[in-house]
Amino acid sequence: MAEFGGQMAADSLLTHLLRDAGVAIGGGCLCLAGDCPHCLATVDGVSYVRTCQVTFREGAAVTLHAANGQLPPLESPGERPPVTARTTHCDIVVIGQGPAGRVAATDARSVGAHVVTLDAREGQDVIGVYPGPLVVARTEDGMRHVYPRGEIVVATGASEIQPAVPGNHLRGLVTARAAAELAASGVPLGQVVAVGTPPDGIVCELASGTLVRFEPSSDPTRVGAVVMRDPGGVETRLACDTVSLGLGLTPRDALLRMARGMNVRGVGDVLLPAHVPPCPVEGTVCPCAGVTVADLASVHARGFHELELVKRATLAGTGPCQGAGCVPHIRAFLAAQGAALQPPFTARPVTRQLTIGEVAAGAHHAVTPRTALHEEHVGLGAIMERLGGWWRPWHYGDVDAEYSAVRTGVSICDVSTLGKMQVSGPGALALLEHLYPVPISTLAPGRARYVFLLDERGYVIDDGMVARESDTRFNLTFTSGGATFAEMWVRDWAESLGADVRLMNQTFSLGAINVTGPRAAELLARAGVGAPPAFLHHGQADVAGVPCRIYRLSFTGEVSFELHHAAADSVRLWHALLSLGQDLGIRPHGLKALLKLRLEKGHLIVGQDTDFDSSLRRLGCEWAVRLDKPAFIGRQAVLRTNRLPLDRQLCGFEMDGEQTTSEVVCRTPAEGATIWDGEDLAGVVTSTTWSPTLGKSIMLGWLRLKDGQLPTDVTIDGRTARRVPTPFYDPEGRRARG
Amino acid sequence: MRVVERLNAARIVAIPAAIDAATWPTGALAFRLAPDEVLVTASTPAGVIDDAHAIVERETGFSAVWVDSAQAIDFLERECDWELPRERPAFAQGMVAGLPLKLWFGQDRVLMVVASPCAADLAERLR
Repeated sequence: MAEFGGQMAADSLLTHLLRDAGVAIGGGCLCLAGDCPHCLATVDGVSYVRTCQVTFREGAAVTLHAANGQLPPLESPGERPPVTARTTHCDIVVIGQGPAGRVAATDARSVGAHVVTLDAREGQDVIGVYPGPLVVARTEDGMRHVYPRGEIVVATGASEIQPAVPGNHLRGLVTARAAAELAASGVPLGQVVAVGTPPDGIVCELASGTLVRFEPSSDPTRVGAVVMRDPGGVETRLACDTVSLGLGLTPRDALLRMARGMNVRGVGDVLLPAHVPPCPVEGTVCPCAGVTVADLASVHARGFHELELVKRATLAGTGPCQGAGCVPHIRAFLAAQGAALQPPFTARPVTRQLTIGEVAAGAHHAVTPRTALHEEHVGLGAIMERLGGWWRPWHYGDVDAEYSAVRTGVSICDVSTLGKMQVSGPGALALLEHLYPVPISTLAPGRARYVFLLDERGYVIDDGMVARESDTRFNLTFTSGGATFAEMWVRDWAESLGADVRLMNQTFSLGAINVTGPRAAELLARAGVGAPPAFLHHGQADVAGVPCRIYRLSFTGEVSFELHHAAADSVRLWHALLSLGQDLGIRPHGLKALLKLRLEKGHLIVGQDTDFDSSLRRLGCEWAVRLDKPAFIGRQAVLRTNRLPLDRQLCGFEMDGEQTTSEVVCRTPAEGATIWDGEDLAGVVTSTTWSPTLGKSIMLGWLRLKDGQLPTDVTIDGRTARRVPTPFYDPEGRRARG
Repeated sequence: MRVVERLNAARIVAIPAAIDAATWPTGALAFRLAPDEVLVTASTPAGVIDDAHAIVERETGFSAVWVDSAQAIDFLERECDWELPRERPAFAQGMVAGLPLKLWFGQDRVLMVVASPCAADLAERLR
């Protein structure tokens, strides 16, 4: 234990290294206050540790960093537990616990304030002040986040100015305060010469005059003498083992300046005016980056006259000490060139080097939600992928069989990820009439309609279904990936219009299973639904004992029933359907098969086949807008853009191929492939697949019009493709209607 | 790992005055998610709400776990940036450990409620 400043403190690692281990630290002028880069070391695999700021611990592996800005060797820190972040809310936070900081904390506590104190010497190194306000400190137990309701008091004191003369890289140089602390800790200093303000409690020789340089001893790395010059220009050489440097103080005010505009107050030495040292004439100014006076002169001669520009041109101030050592000297240098004294660098977080673990403390990756059937999919061997913001089964191992089950028998698909919202109230109909470009009032209770959602510019932002339950109650669906935005869209418009409605987002609450295939109705009959809804109808029924709302739709092109139910019942319903359909050859299908099935039907996917400026006209879906409706979002834009010549359109393409099964690496062009009309780039493919049923490659893609016409034959992937109408499969829709 | 179990509840969206005036089954907890929305840890008949257009639904889309108070506070000090309520009982909601959580602070324990699709993530982050 060492005593300094009236306090008892545990030995720092630096003190131990100097006193007990006899390690040659440095060189450069040690400050023992965390301001200089000269005691940096890699400790237990972590680089840039200020050994003066950490407590000595037996057994720590220490490798001192090389001086003059050389990067420390990259060591693997090994397996480490995650760094935690702890949050504290308080009335007042006091940064620094020197005399002024202790008084500030005591005063605040005396009036009943909840005070948090943070002090680097106690292992709480504040690395930044952020808007909030939020004070972030690094501690030996992890990161600490402190949110003060009231004041931030900065009592970080002042740092001692470093020497900027030749030989300032030598060992044996210490600031005056550091000299006193080292002596008090029992570190032998030998013969001490004091330059400037002498250290407390040390017998030393006082040097007078101007500091000129340090000279090495017989050990070329260690100081052996200091050379001073008197006003008459006469140099005096003073032999020594240690030089104590009391060259003045500069406020340690980076945090104070960083917090400007917040409720912040400085106390104590942090408010001192910065001492400006003499203009350096030779030697290293920034030991972190190895920037010399000659470097400063060079960039100044090339026009870099602002402190911030000098920093960028030389990298001075960008090293571990973040300008604590060099800024006074660069300010002095620039002032000596005739400019006004410039303020220090802009203060920004972070002020200290952090490990990646510390930077990541308290952070989590974004959550990808799972449907209630997640474990069922995994149990069936599904390959799970993040799709539309959810974990979804991509396939269950046999895409062809999954596809075939839909086209020839019966299959089920987990579509719980669809956005689902219930709208109720006297204003529900008027709200939906405003939101959708087709009439909603003509939708009878028990009926459902496929709809697009347009923005004010008439561009598609989502699609889904509107199902009417009663005069004042509707159920809406949205795409999986677009559900969150769609909810905000509906809520914003409901509020803007003052609609008398109740809105409930049920995306997470309801599971949904699509039963599809030519034998889907047969499966439902076995599950107790003898009279399922007709196409584009919906109704309530128990399916295998599970209360469901059944929507008769089709995305696959076959008869389909979407069973919406309480999420808690999903697993029971899933098992029941698989069991009841066993002899029908039922098997679940994943997204890979579904995307193939939907593309055969020419169904677009918003976000994949659409762009940010996809109008219904460009999508070839003008049937989905009724301009005789007096008002809906996007109507004016649709009317205006309809008067412009059509420039491009989403089209269907087919291409003969050689593939016989989807498992063969196909010659079907990839999504994103370019479309060529002769020598002209004509568009891009947005969706593509090999159609087992049609025996050809089919695609959707954007195609530019040329002279007002869409080309018929184009080139994709170096081969001829034909533009064809969609749907590719069952264009009359007979299969979906059953 | 803690088991975060699906909550059997009711969710109601109605005019705020109707929710203000409602009474809930004895022993049930009622979490006011928004002025016009409440989550009740009981099956609630529609009749309790005096709003003809109210949406009253069985709600199984949330999962929950009770955590001992000291452990919960330790977890929240690490994973929650916002200030926790001091009074008991209390309800609060916001992002915790990167998840949208609803918290019920009882005298000796805390109920953590999360949307069921994120329940596995909560269990993982509670470890």
